[in-house]
Amino acid sequence: MQLVTASNLGYSINEKKLFHNLTFSLNAGSGLHIKGGNGSGKSTLLRIILGLTSPSKGEVEYCKPNLQISYLGHKNAIKHYLTPMQNLELIFRSSALSEAIKWIHILGLNKVQDELTANLSFGQQKKLALIRVFASESDLIILDEPFVGLDDASRDLLNGFLQKQLASDASLILTSHIEPNILCSELVLSGDTDD
Amino acid sequence: MINFFSLEAFKLRHKLRAWLGPLLIMILVLIAFPLSIDISQYDLNKFYFSVIVVSLLMISFLATESIFSEDYEDGSLEQIHLEEKDFYKITLAKILVHVFFIGIPMALIGSIFSFANGVSFAEVPKIFVILSISTLILFNVFAFGSALSINKGSMLGVVASLPLALPAIVLLGRGVRTVQYGQGFFEVSVLMAGVALIVTALMPIIISATLKTHLE
Repeated sequence: MQLVTASNLGYSINEKKLFHNLTFSLNAGSGLHIKGGNGSGKSTLLRIILGLTSPSKGEVEYCKPNLQISYLGHKNAIKHYLTPMQNLELIFRSSALSEAIKWIHILGLNKVQDELTANLSFGQQKKLALIRVFASESDLIILDEPFVGLDDASRDLLNGFLQKQLASDASLILTSHIEPNILCSELVLSGDTDD
Repeated sequence: MINFFSLEAFKLRHKLRAWLGPLLIMILVLIAFPLSIDISQYDLNKFYFSVIVVSLLMISFLATESIFSEDYEDGSLEQIHLEEKDFYKITLAKILVHVFFIGIPMALIGSIFSFANGVSFAEVPKIFVILSISTLILFNVFAFGSALSINKGSMLGVVASLPLALPAIVLLGRGVRTVQYGQGFFEVSVLMAGVALIVTALMPIIISATLKTHLE
């Protein structure tokens, strides 16, 4: 079953074409790894798929109504003046919150759960941000450089989680310079194009 | 909507500097002004209201300066957009929470200081009402300025929203005069409440569109 289709997508900034005529589709239970150098438009493509940025050309269509999307971009969307626990209370309600608290323990953040998030290391903040994805039920998971800042154990955990999600028919789109240990198709963006 | 309101209240409650700072500055201004000039109590009573009005204007801007910037910078706005598709509810919730936590206490402080500077006790509730309504209008206007300049520094916001705030100040001045002269308070306060309601209903739509544009 198709979940997302993109047809003839193009995006330009100040006459510079980041990419053009991109056409792809994503089925339920499949993954797409978007690759490319810095500034090639990977994050922009993710934002276009999410509907946060309008493409210069083409369109993205969600084939399933009320598609549940989990997204983690470059920005962690966590509040530095709150504790990890308070951050989760801000994001999740009742049943999802207990699931999120489980992840706090799995990721080893329970030792710092009552400290201000501002005092946490970059990696710990990233783990906290990832709980938004871990504890949500999603049809489509979109991640922008999710492995950055994570230690080996957390990377393995994330790889395992994503594999499990793909096996249970969720779809995945991610960008990463660190090769994920997941079976997914690749889309390579080359950056500035002339034609 | 109630959910947004409680979440925003939760966030603002934990940002002590964001709500206590403006209130302390207002108190400081209202105390320091009479001390800084050599003036008789009679003359001070005559124009102390102007000080309250001007400080209300300044502090309202200060209180709303970063009302959206935090959520914009940490990526929360993107997450809200994915869930809600627009920012109307969150904007309305943010403005109302700021009015509740900062605007109403500002109105209370203004009323107490006006009592300390010659207004009779019976007139204090009237002052409180018009100051409260004014903060609702001003917070909406300055929130718009803040949304406009979310990634360009606050000066653009001041320049863009000050012309919109001036009619509210004129209206507030009219309200103050009705209290001073004891005539027409009801008419002016109803007019101000009407303006506040319209502004509160419409401004979040404009702000929501502005935030969406910035997000792109």
